[in-house]
Amino acid sequence: MLGDLGAAIALSFTYFTIIYVTGLGGLYSERSGIVNIGLEGMMIIGTVTGSAGTFYFTTELGWGLPWGPVIGILVGMTCGALFASIHALATVTFKVDQIVSGVVINLVAVGLARFLSSIFFGQATQSDSGQPHLNPIDIPGLSSFPLGLGKAFSGLSPMVIVAFLLVFPVTYSLYKTRWGLRLRSCGENPEATRSLGVRVAPMRYQGVMLSGALAGFAGAFLAVEVNLSWNEGQTQGLGFIALAALILSNWNPKRLMVAAMIFGFAQAIPYRLADAPIIRLIPPEFIRMTPYVVTIVVLAGFVGKVRPPAAAGRAYEGGSRI
Amino acid sequence: MAAAGAALPQARRRELPEWLENFGGQVVALVGALLIAMAVGSVIIVLYGESPITVYSAILEGSIGDKAGFGYVLANAGPLIFSALAVAVCFKGGMFNIGVEGQYIVAMAVASWAALRLDFIPGPLLMIVVILFAILGGMAYASIPAILKVKTGAHEVVTTIMLNGIAASLVAFVIRGPLRYTDIGGGFNVNLRTDPFPDNAAIPDIGHFFGIRSSVRLSWVLPMALVAAGIVWFIFKRMRLGYEARAVGASPGSALAGGISIGKVQIRLFLLSGALAGLIGVQQLFADQGFLPSGYEAGIGFLGIGVAFLGQNNPAGIVFAAILWGVLARGETSLQLQTDVPREFVIILQGILILSVVVTYQVARRRLFARELRRAAEVEDLGDAAAGADIEGLAKEDR
Amino acid sequence: MDDGAGAGRVSAPPLVVMEGITKRFPGVLANDDVTIDLRPGEVHALIGENGAGKSTLMRVLYGLYPPNEGRITVRGQEVKIASPRDAIALGIGMVHQHFVLVDPFTVAENIILGMEGGPILDKEGSEAKVAELAASYGFVIDPAAVVEDLSVGEEQRVEILKALYRGVEILILDEPTAVLTPAEATELFENLRKLRDDGKTIVFISHKLDEVLAIADRITVLRRGAVVGETTPAETNKAKLAEMMVGRPVLFRLEKPQVEPGEVALTVDDLHGGRLHGLSLEVRRGEIVGVAGVEGNGQRELADAIMGLRTLESGRIELDGRDLHELTTEEIRNAGVAFIPEDRQDQGLVLSMTLWENAVIGRHDDPEFSGRFGLLLLKKIKGLAHRLIKEFDIRARSIEMSARTLSGGNQQKLILARELETDPALLLAAQPTRGLDVGAIEFVWSQILEQKAAGRAVLLISAELDEIYALSDRIVTLYEGRITGEYPPDAPAEEVGRGMLGGDTVKEAS
Repeated sequence: MLGDLGAAIALSFTYFTIIYVTGLGGLYSERSGIVNIGLEGMMIIGTVTGSAGTFYFTTELGWGLPWGPVIGILVGMTCGALFASIHALATVTFKVDQIVSGVVINLVAVGLARFLSSIFFGQATQSDSGQPHLNPIDIPGLSSFPLGLGKAFSGLSPMVIVAFLLVFPVTYSLYKTRWGLRLRSCGENPEATRSLGVRVAPMRYQGVMLSGALAGFAGAFLAVEVNLSWNEGQTQGLGFIALAALILSNWNPKRLMVAAMIFGFAQAIPYRLADAPIIRLIPPEFIRMTPYVVTIVVLAGFVGKVRPPAAAGRAYEGGSRI
Repeated sequence: MAAAGAALPQARRRELPEWLENFGGQVVALVGALLIAMAVGSVIIVLYGESPITVYSAILEGSIGDKAGFGYVLANAGPLIFSALAVAVCFKGGMFNIGVEGQYIVAMAVASWAALRLDFIPGPLLMIVVILFAILGGMAYASIPAILKVKTGAHEVVTTIMLNGIAASLVAFVIRGPLRYTDIGGGFNVNLRTDPFPDNAAIPDIGHFFGIRSSVRLSWVLPMALVAAGIVWFIFKRMRLGYEARAVGASPGSALAGGISIGKVQIRLFLLSGALAGLIGVQQLFADQGFLPSGYEAGIGFLGIGVAFLGQNNPAGIVFAAILWGVLARGETSLQLQTDVPREFVIILQGILILSVVVTYQVARRRLFARELRRAAEVEDLGDAAAGADIEGLAKEDR
Repeated sequence: MDDGAGAGRVSAPPLVVMEGITKRFPGVLANDDVTIDLRPGEVHALIGENGAGKSTLMRVLYGLYPPNEGRITVRGQEVKIASPRDAIALGIGMVHQHFVLVDPFTVAENIILGMEGGPILDKEGSEAKVAELAASYGFVIDPAAVVEDLSVGEEQRVEILKALYRGVEILILDEPTAVLTPAEATELFENLRKLRDDGKTIVFISHKLDEVLAIADRITVLRRGAVVGETTPAETNKAKLAEMMVGRPVLFRLEKPQVEPGEVALTVDDLHGGRLHGLSLEVRRGEIVGVAGVEGNGQRELADAIMGLRTLESGRIELDGRDLHELTTEEIRNAGVAFIPEDRQDQGLVLSMTLWENAVIGRHDDPEFSGRFGLLLLKKIKGLAHRLIKEFDIRARSIEMSARTLSGGNQQKLILARELETDPALLLAAQPTRGLDVGAIEFVWSQILEQKAAGRAVLLISAELDEIYALSDRIVTLYEGRITGEYPPDAPAEEVGRGMLGGDTVKEAS
């Protein structure tokens, strides 16, 4: 039974990777002042382009492992960033309402993914078989835990480690660098930022494109390393769960890790712990709902308050408001 | 001095009445946006080695080319109109109901329950009861984010997105459980769904009045949607709720100081929105499929947001936008059959269209406002210049 | 009045010359061929009514607006100032009326933003630099404090330090004393004098003539976008300046009607909540009670509490003996309270709605204007709107125009018209003439006095002492959520000023 728990934890690390990295993307965007509910769409683009890129570099160009999948995932990131630039263009330059733009991004992503898939794979809803992927690793030491708990640390994709390590560069970039200070001020008070000669629009573009890159990473990871293929609909609303985790964490990279871990575990339960004692009695659909329910409960103020960046959601009109 | 205020000054040149000018401006914006979208789309088409004219006419042919095609467009427009109205109603009041999707599928589950368990109700009365339950189901689910917002201040964008996720799981559970298909003996259900609904719950076809075959499924749902659009228009133009909603949406502080109860208005708007959302699924369940499948048509709630903005959140615009949307969507098949451009091109075109409409509309609105300000200044003569008019504040209240 | 210490430097060659500056917005000619020069080591006051173009002119200098015509010369060279960055590079800095600070950041972070000195942040280093800069000008501020926690006077110091940190020679201050207590204003003036003596140029935009006469070396007067005169405090006085600003002799006082006050209409007793800490007052029929105080001492909360827009922790509010505490805003209005809010855009009008829609807010659900099932009776409503426009001489092309197109004065008239139409028992007027030009101010004042003559109770809340003196029968001072003193209408300003600072309670200057 503990072996099951171990397996569940391993799977939750995988979900954690997806949720956490996407959430980080949302973090950068929102901190710069642009609300991004199009994370799901950006992730979708990452799935199809990541998968295609991996095929291309591994087999067609013959680079083999591990470089093929690594570059493939980078391709997913780049395409995610490019796709996100549409959201940036709409919201920052044209001052379209950020929620509307996010919704449109999600709508277009589905169609665009099919479009791209038919180009890459000749079929609209799934990739070729035999997706190249990285060799899973076991974490030395931890994977030999007794009682089957060691399973929690075996058979993981190396990208999971990358995800865990991301907290350091993210926190550093946001709080210890000049770039991070300016980015955050764009999200808190764009007028103040502008009045000191720092241009708000380019920083917001960077924030949004970063969110596309990270969501693209998560999507590519999902296709290449987890599902081992691209399928339409494989993102299963994880982009929205990432949003929930982000809100719950009050836009803080460290707390986001905790939230993503918890939600990741909630996602894993129906797959690996379906037969466990109490869980067996709860319909799997209800378990899947938990991230959403928890977020609502928190938002309703039952457990503390959340405070988004002050200027997020408002278009910045460009300087003469002061 | 009093005379200047009492008599409206003579126009120096002939000018159109205000509303016509605004309307004209909107139409120009819409047409301009369409042209821009088509232009961008043409670039993609050319990259494919096809001619834009071939592609666009293929799209049109599939939808307007024959009666059946246009019938499909109209049949699908009904649910889209309900969806977009649901979004627009809340938006006018300053709120974003992204939860139309969740409200619609919950309403479908509730209506399915009514159809299956209340089948003892005779004749066409069952159909009416079922529709009522659909409305109530949508209203009930929509009341959740509304009450959360009013009582706890929880932002409706987030709560509705979360509730969408919850709704999907709930409905999946209901189809797998309480309402599952009873007639399959042991073993696996490949396609999970409910039992078929009784015949008297079905909504009759109206296509046959126009020579459109019944497989197109053009039903009374479309006229219902048009009536709903008319009702929404009337509410916002001539009724207290609409007036208060617009005030709350544009300037909640002024509404509050004027004695309007913001919470009451917000809840009423969400209930209205939920009612409209509830009617989205009626076409699918009771005019088309005849049962609730686990593979129900997902996404109409989100499409409604797109259509609402395409129609600039006003009922007349929404009706046209829904039809335009349907024309494009319907054109997918003929596009695929007749050209080398993949059908997914259409959804990209739709996305570009929405974005360009929203942008051009904003640009047009700013021009109109600037003109309004200039005209107003003429009356003031010199002094008392519109310095109090907050030019940059134009964006603040745009609804 | 300032001594002649700056006089020697007044004759130095100009640092900045703005020549023939014209700036247009849709429907407005904000600056009309304006020429002005700024010299080193002077305090140059720029005065004019609201809407005269003073802020606009300086925003052109600061690079926030491009001028339609004209040119700018700095230190003898013609320049194009396309953004605040250019302005700062030229040594020009601006402190806006509404501060632009990032609340969750520290003082130091706010000051170095945009000039961090390297890609990696150095927290201790920057805080030390800021501390040093502040000390050199005698400013008292803690670099590590979070801006959210600062007082208004401290925030202003941060804004000024932001400019000084960038080595500006010319510092533009837009209505700097609008949000300061008299003590803070005095401190500010001391700091400004120090800066001036150090060779800096201060541009002081204001409409407060007493202050301008106290601090300025030169005064430029704008009216309706054009320069109408330049002078020095020695050559002029308040009355002459006012006349230049407005173009005609200005009355600083209107005739106050003599009315015998009736019974008590409004009783406010021991309010607690938010910024209120035990506020009590009374207003009788036929009496105008003026609540004087610097913004931020509970004025907004008092008005909101009376109107039912805010819940209180404790206290009683009664109108003609009726407890208003439990009532909704709508019920309070129906009970006979009319409200002129301090913020006409956020609490008064819905700018995107038409004039007639705005005319009926608050009464739209009366049986007179609203039929069964909530149907609006448009004919009646539009009839009301026409009547109001005529009676109050509101300049508008038609009632179908949006309220946004009205000037500030006409917007306020619309609100007045709408509120007074109901024949209220109590008129609550908060900052009723903020942002209005003299003509509109006179109109509003006469309307308020008329209400008193008609035997109504009027509670006036205002940060402008001129207004308090012009209208009140009794003056009370508000400080930190309590009434700290009561004065007759002829009490000397110093006494009232003391009350505004806490009255007899001795306070340490912060």
